[in-house]
Amino acid sequence: MEEVRDGQVERLAILFERHQIMLYNFFLRLTGNRGVSEDLVQDVFFRILKYRKTYQGQSKFTVWMYQIARNVHVDYLRKQKPEVPLEEQFEEAASPEPLPAEKMDAEVDIALLREALSGLSLKKREILLLSRFQEMKYQDIAKLLGCNIGSVKSTVHRAIKDLSKIYCQLQGGTTP
Amino acid sequence: MTCEKIREKFADYLVAGLDEKSLGDVQAHLASCVACREELETLSAIWTKLGVLPQEQPSPALRQRFYVMLEAYKEGMEKEKTRASVGQAISAWFGRLMPRRPAYQFALSLMLVGAGLGAGYLLSGRHPDRRSEVAALRQEVKDIRQITAVSLLNQASPSERLKGVSWSAQLKQPDEKILLALLDTLNNDPNTNVRLAAVDALYFFYDYPQVKEGLVHSLAQQTSPLVQLSLIDLLVEIRERRAADALRRLIQDEKLNPEVKKRAEIGLAQLT
Repeated sequence: MEEVRDGQVERLAILFERHQIMLYNFFLRLTGNRGVSEDLVQDVFFRILKYRKTYQGQSKFTVWMYQIARNVHVDYLRKQKPEVPLEEQFEEAASPEPLPAEKMDAEVDIALLREALSGLSLKKREILLLSRFQEMKYQDIAKLLGCNIGSVKSTVHRAIKDLSKIYCQLQGGTTP
Repeated sequence: MTCEKIREKFADYLVAGLDEKSLGDVQAHLASCVACREELETLSAIWTKLGVLPQEQPSPALRQRFYVMLEAYKEGMEKEKTRASVGQAISAWFGRLMPRRPAYQFALSLMLVGAGLGAGYLLSGRHPDRRSEVAALRQEVKDIRQITAVSLLNQASPSERLKGVSWSAQLKQPDEKILLALLDTLNNDPNTNVRLAAVDALYFFYDYPQVKEGLVHSLAQQTSPLVQLSLIDLLVEIRERRAADALRRLIQDEKLNPEVKKRAEIGLAQLT
């Protein structure tokens, strides 16, 4: 990234190839929409170019990139009006009816998990996605959000607990 | 160790981030505390389950768009560089021409002013048709400005369209085409910022009857509260009485944003 910042913008291609899939999946799990997620990835890399001079070598590139990604997502949410709930946006929406456990195949399970994820607050969802799927350390997430590491850990704990509750309810089971 | 202290470590346990000692503490506690054991089992189960969410591949269009953007950006940077270096060369050349002593500099500028005045006097005396030439040139510049503005308004990029709006606002006597293009932007542009800029630009041309009418009509077409507010402000400021009916209709819309409704009611009171 230092090279990109110092004018060799073609080097951004390396960063794009390295991170585009992760970033795309991050947005996909936040928005549930493939087309939108691709637009947002494009927007992230555009902003990286535009603001490349503001990159300071001390912090990890991924922390900086996800900071931009979060801003891009917030801007996207602001433009969305009226806000459509996540489960309605997902192209293959989950069945709203609870299904008996024996009928569940992998696909239904995936859909239920997605729906359960969308039931979390944005903050919990973001932190959970960053730690579970984007392979970010708690320390880096704390840096990214500008909070302390203890609050990241407790948010992950609460997010997983809530997720488990929502998931069980969607399955038609009782809350643990 | 208390249950609370142990549970604080669960987030680290999930990502296998505990050192040996902490892991030992957690395991020792779990052996004797059913509640904590059950909680960790639930957390671990859903944490593992999340692994079934597949990683998807974006379409090839994403890569293609990225490289197009990167190329365009690089080109833009290079153009800027050459522009900057030409600018530097010209100023260096002028710099060399400039005498060092302030007194000589002053004398040189006086000479240049004198030469300019003299040349102007001579030229205007000799060529009475210059004036019409200048007028024709002015007209041409004006036409170019109008064409540029209209073509910018039709660009795909919102920032280009914003430029188009501000170009249009600078025109002193816009023709029908520009006014229509601005009104069309106000009604149909997908980007709120561009529509807002169009409201501001149209403020300069509210004397034109078609603009007044267009603004009143547009009120019913807007969905963004920001644009609605700005349009109401404009219509009230130019004291457009025909807007009263449009405002009344707007207020009756049940889905209307409450802020906009409040502003519309105040506006209506000011107009009637």
